[in-house]
Amino acid sequence: MIQFLGVSKKFAGGTAALREVSFKLEKGDFSFLRGASGAGKSTLLKLIYREIEPTSGQILVNGRNVSSIPRKKVPYLRRTIGVVFQDFRLISRRTIFENISYLPQILGMGIQERKRLAYQTLRRVGLAHRMNSFPQQLSGGEQQRVAIARALINQPEILIADEPTGNLDPDLSWEIMRLFVEINGKGTTVLLATHEPSYVRAIGGRVLSLDRGRLVGDKKIERQSRLLTDDSIDGELSSMETDTSSGEQSS
Amino acid sequence: MSLFRIFGYFMGEAVVSLWRSWKVSLLAILTIAMSIFIGGTFLLLSGNLSRVVENWRQEAKIIVYLHSQSTPTEIERVRSLAAEADWVTAVEEVSGSQASSRFRETFPSVQDLLKSWEDEPLPASLELSFLPVPEGQGGFDTWLASLRQDPAVIMVDDDRDWLHQLDAFIAILRGLGAVVGAALLGAAVVTIASVIRLTAYLYRDEIAVMRLVGATELYIRGPFFFEGLIQGFLGGAVALLGLFSVFLGLNPKSSTVLLGTVLVDRFLPWQAILAMLGVATLAGCLGAILSLRRESLASD
Repeated sequence: MIQFLGVSKKFAGGTAALREVSFKLEKGDFSFLRGASGAGKSTLLKLIYREIEPTSGQILVNGRNVSSIPRKKVPYLRRTIGVVFQDFRLISRRTIFENISYLPQILGMGIQERKRLAYQTLRRVGLAHRMNSFPQQLSGGEQQRVAIARALINQPEILIADEPTGNLDPDLSWEIMRLFVEINGKGTTVLLATHEPSYVRAIGGRVLSLDRGRLVGDKKIERQSRLLTDDSIDGELSSMETDTSSGEQSS
Repeated sequence: MSLFRIFGYFMGEAVVSLWRSWKVSLLAILTIAMSIFIGGTFLLLSGNLSRVVENWRQEAKIIVYLHSQSTPTEIERVRSLAAEADWVTAVEEVSGSQASSRFRETFPSVQDLLKSWEDEPLPASLELSFLPVPEGQGGFDTWLASLRQDPAVIMVDDDRDWLHQLDAFIAILRGLGAVVGAALLGAAVVTIASVIRLTAYLYRDEIAVMRLVGATELYIRGPFFFEGLIQGFLGGAVALLGLFSVFLGLNPKSSTVLLGTVLVDRFLPWQAILAMLGVATLAGCLGAILSLRRESLASD
């Protein structure tokens, strides 16, 4: 689904953000991208949806070499990838419906069809009742759920998230992580950049570790045995949340 | 996405954007309106003046003034010389006394001037009506020179001389209008470009999101092009409304101002109105293109 082959990225001034990174993510994977600030996590994610281009190496998304896609065709690549950011990037002057309906509108859907789709997607993230609200009327967690709804509205095969809980308090963060697990459970490949180890322990999955642009770790952590079924995820994550909170308090 | 729907989206977004930043949009519209108004004023004046000159050209005559001592034979010779030209349609002989009475009728307030003169103060003349002669047509100048050189002729007054001067004045007026209008239009284009760049800057967060979810550049830039088009069109419409108001104020039907009787007899023809609207709209579009080809919409 996503494959990096010896990918390096140098920015102007010679700063190397990524060095010879290679890995492959399969369809339906739930993967974490870990590393300290400046390790290259955001750069790697931006390369996937081609906000930036690699200095060398190849990136394959659904078998297509992202670098070789003509500039005019990049929007079509991005329509297949949902992206979520730490700062939500919601437009304050637009309603929640308008915020998540950009892509359906771009695709030429009529207003009724867009409303139906927006309602269904917002229901998926538990915010169907806030369709006509404005972002500033929502809590941080709700805003992030809207951002996730925007990423999901076209049912992308890949969902990538760059520190999606970075601006949220622990309670809301776990709420968002639960949502990602649910989304992944329905077949969407999820790649999530975070520096929070507790999520990795709780959810499990592929863990790619970056250090100063190099891929220094690539391992699979099994989800805890108690978390085998989707139905039990909520409760188990809640207990992990409690554990983490108490751990944080003790430290 | 159907063309109708996408144009509807562009138009809707452009109108919302104009409404949201109405102050700077108004500035852009007024700038373009000013340039079109000034250009249109020159066009209106020169057009009416041209029409007046053309009317005068139709009535233009060549007047051949004759010596008072000229004999009938000499007068007949001059008449024959005048009438032999193909372009002369009529030759009217005006005696000195007829000329005096015309003078008294035309200038009654100064008719006393003639009393202090001799019996026949104004010379007899031949008034030649003629068809419009293309400039530089062979024979006309030679024919005119031969009339001037005839010993029975004092002088030849050719109306075309001052009509030529008026033509030159009109050409200068049009040139001036074109230069001033173009300079102001350039300023208007720059203003529109700046306004659209500013709008794009204000919308940069939304543009970034649109890029992220897969909007094409046409989809992102379309509303800005339409915004430029609308600003240009509105600027042109405002200018034409202003010009029409001035025309109504000075028009001889509603005003007794002398200027109105000559220079604003008729409003601009519909072709000129459409052309002005088109130029204004294109200027708006050009402003949008200028602003959008730079990095104002570059991804962040």
